[in-house]
Amino acid sequence: MIETHHLSKVYSRGLYALRDLSITVQKGEFVFLTGPSGAGKSTFLRLLLLQERPSEGELWVNGYHLEKLTRREVQEYRRGIGFVFQDFKLIPTRTVLENISFVPQVLGMPVAQQRRRAFQVLKWVGLQHRINAYPDDLSGGEQQRIAIARALVNEPALILADEPTGNLDPDLSLEIMNLFREINAGGTTVLVATHDRELIRLVGRRTITLDQGRVVEVA
Amino acid sequence: MRAIEYSFREATASIWRGKGTSALAVVAITLAMMVLGGLLLITSNVQKLIEDWSSAAEFSVYLRDDATSEQRGALEKLIDESGVAAAREYVSKAEALGRFRRDFAELASLTASFEDNPFPASVEVRVRPDAQQDGRAEVLIARLAAAPGVVDVRYDREWLVRVTTGLETIRGIGFTLALVMVAAAALTVATVVRLALHERRGEIEVMQLVGSPYAFIRGPFVVEGLLQGGAGALLAIAVLWLGFRAVLGWWGGPLATIVETGALQFLPLRLCAWLVAGGMAVGCVGGLAAARSA
Repeated sequence: MIETHHLSKVYSRGLYALRDLSITVQKGEFVFLTGPSGAGKSTFLRLLLLQERPSEGELWVNGYHLEKLTRREVQEYRRGIGFVFQDFKLIPTRTVLENISFVPQVLGMPVAQQRRRAFQVLKWVGLQHRINAYPDDLSGGEQQRIAIARALVNEPALILADEPTGNLDPDLSLEIMNLFREINAGGTTVLVATHDRELIRLVGRRTITLDQGRVVEVA
Repeated sequence: MRAIEYSFREATASIWRGKGTSALAVVAITLAMMVLGGLLLITSNVQKLIEDWSSAAEFSVYLRDDATSEQRGALEKLIDESGVAAAREYVSKAEALGRFRRDFAELASLTASFEDNPFPASVEVRVRPDAQQDGRAEVLIARLAAAPGVVDVRYDREWLVRVTTGLETIRGIGFTLALVMVAAAALTVATVVRLALHERRGEIEVMQLVGSPYAFIRGPFVVEGLLQGGAGALLAIAVLWLGFRAVLGWWGGPLATIVETGALQFLPLRLCAWLVAGGMAVGCVGGLAAARSA
């Protein structure tokens, strides 16, 4: 699903955020990406989301050679990816249902289908009773579950999560991780970037550890 | 189709959310369109009046007192064969005196003391509009002035030329001003749309990350500009129409002494439609310019 060959990202003044990264994530795998702050976890996810372009090396995701994509191909590629961020990135002016149905809506899906899919994933994350609430009315854990529902609504092949439990207490964090485990059990590839070693230990999946932009351990 | 529907829905919601800033953009377009529309209104009416006055243009060929009937016949033949005259009329010395007494009644008593009738006989010619434009009237007048039995030819159309030239100058300055204002309006719309874009940057980021087509991302901002432009132009037309009615109502009396007020017309419907389309285009350009950064 994800394959990198000697991937590097260099910022100005020769500062390497990622250096010579060669890793593979198989289809259907659940992988943790960990390391201290500044290790390059978020940069790697930004490259996977094509929010930034690599400086050197090759990056293949879901059959797409990311450095060579045109603008239209970038849109097509992103439709196959779901994302979850630490700050949830929910739209405060829209209700829970609208936040989720917004994704199929802006992809041109018919209205009835948008609503049906949104309700399905909302039910799956157990928040169907908060359908008309606004993000500000929800707890942090609920907001993150809505963000996960939004990531799932388009049935992506790959879910990328950047510190998804960073704003949550340990119990809620485990709850969110269980959701990711269930998503993965359905066949979706999941890559979670986190610095929470305890959580990784509890979930117990393959872990790639980065430090100063390099892979220092794969366990 | 869904992108268009989505764009209109989001644009109207965005306009409603940012009522104050949207009103600013609408006012900018209204002002620009008022200048342009006002200019078109004035120039089209003045142009029409000039055409009416031009079509009524005449010249008079004054005959010497000793001009023979053969000489007069030759002049009339020359006029008829030239194709310049829409109509002609011979005014004898006695008729000229009679007209003076009728038109200037308060001076009529003076003419009683005349030993001889000082008014010359003349041939009055109404000129065809096409003959004025292609210069045939000027040629004929030159020939008539040199013909035997003619004392003078009066063809007073210099003032019409001056009005036409003045109108061209006004039109040039007005269009330049309108162009500057249209550019300023487009800039205002772009700024307002950019503000809306800034307010919705979270949504835009999500849309980009889920691979939404550009029609969905940029469409609402373009439509927002389009709607603001259309509203501004409609408002401008409404204000111009009210202004036009007010001018006719308040100054109808004094105006009637110069022109026939029934001849003054508001902008034709087709031109109004063009103004609205123009306003929408200006707004659309502003929206598009701002949306390019999305």
